[in-house]
Amino acid sequence: MRKAIYIGLVIALCWFAADCARAAELRVPQNAVAGQPLSIGTSGSGTLYLVGPGQVIKKEFKSGSVEIKGEELRSAGRWIAAIRGDSNQSQVFWVKPGKPGKLNFLARPSRVPVARPNVISGVTFVFDQYQNLILDPTPVNFNLSVGGSRFTKSVTSREGVAWINSASAPKAGAAQFVASVGDTSVARVVQQVAADPCERSFRMHVAGHAGNRTIVETDPIRDCSGNPVPDGTIVTFIQTDKTGKSTVDARIKKGTARAELPASDNATITVAAGVVLGNELHVGGRQ
Amino acid sequence: MKLARILILSAGVALAISGAVPLLERIFADTKPAMQLNVKNAQPREVEDVTQNAIVRDYTLAWQAISTSLANNTLQPLNENFAGFALDKFTQRVKDQKQNGLTTRIIDHGHKVDAIFYSPDGAAIELKDTASIETQVLDGSTVIHSGQAQIHYYAVMTGAEDRWKVRVLESTAQ
Repeated sequence: MRKAIYIGLVIALCWFAADCARAAELRVPQNAVAGQPLSIGTSGSGTLYLVGPGQVIKKEFKSGSVEIKGEELRSAGRWIAAIRGDSNQSQVFWVKPGKPGKLNFLARPSRVPVARPNVISGVTFVFDQYQNLILDPTPVNFNLSVGGSRFTKSVTSREGVAWINSASAPKAGAAQFVASVGDTSVARVVQQVAADPCERSFRMHVAGHAGNRTIVETDPIRDCSGNPVPDGTIVTFIQTDKTGKSTVDARIKKGTARAELPASDNATITVAAGVVLGNELHVGGRQ
Repeated sequence: MKLARILILSAGVALAISGAVPLLERIFADTKPAMQLNVKNAQPREVEDVTQNAIVRDYTLAWQAISTSLANNTLQPLNENFAGFALDKFTQRVKDQKQNGLTTRIIDHGHKVDAIFYSPDGAAIELKDTASIETQVLDGSTVIHSGQAQIHYYAVMTGAEDRWKVRVLESTAQ
């Protein structure tokens, strides 16, 4: 019995000694950061392998420590350190991302009508300068400005991502949408265009006659915020009389739309752009 | 005499099993890894059924591509399933492996994936993945590291021309 205990103790002692020896041979710091130098303790001689998510480093070493330069250690995540030589062993260690240095900014859509709630979205992923996703909470500033109007919001990233939804401004134009973290910023342009014509001011009148044709023209067409509706937008004129219906699709040119319709002694003319109706004209008998 | 026969037979069976298990593992390593996707916690947009299926299909393919590329030091599978920063990193890893004569065998035992962010416009999705992975790093034919672990990954996927591609794949200690 005594002999068995003695053998057991010897085995346990040897095991402990082997463990101590192993720990002494490869020492990797557990607080490594991407872009910062790393010192790995070794004993004996052989080859050191560092296998990371996006790179592999292989170095011959003699007893002492192996220095890894900051610019060599770029990938954050799970690394494997292994040595082959006087002893063979491996160990897992983690590298954290460095400070914010890059942003991935998705701004949608690229073209949007003015004065609409929650139509613009900005999504930002925060990275360090070596393209590692920073998972620690980081404040991200969003700034949307067009003309004199400006919208600013700060959002703290969660698990690497920060996002906002914003209304479009009442003024048309190229809005600068900027996401920034510290000194790093990324800008996108969101083109804010006039919304549909405003029903209150969407009016036409008879502009003249040319032979047996009546010329009708709209007043300058604007949305309800006063922005001119872009040239090229289609405006439909419909004339109805006893002979039937005449339709003309005209594009807005220099702010107004114009159409020539067959002359009639008693007709009704309507005007529309998309779902918006303008005024109605009666030509011929009375107006 | 009978006992000796049984013992020899048992030893033979044990030997056969010990040889067959790694062989089977290697065969199954090339098949698709098991993938469970939970989209209940996705914010701010709900993940559509069609998108769920596409994410499972394409994230599975991405992991298959990692296994193939790191085992054979080939870039083609990566190009088909990765984009952006993730593609840059894995491409560099394959180039470094090739230069240093290394290969990595991955035996993928499956992934439990949570969709945690789905962008308002539906263009990007962020996944949190708990992967059960067995890894062997070889220098030539010599194994320099072997281990099995549960590893947490964050992945960002974005819609590409005909599939979702992985733009970010980062392992984390937490």
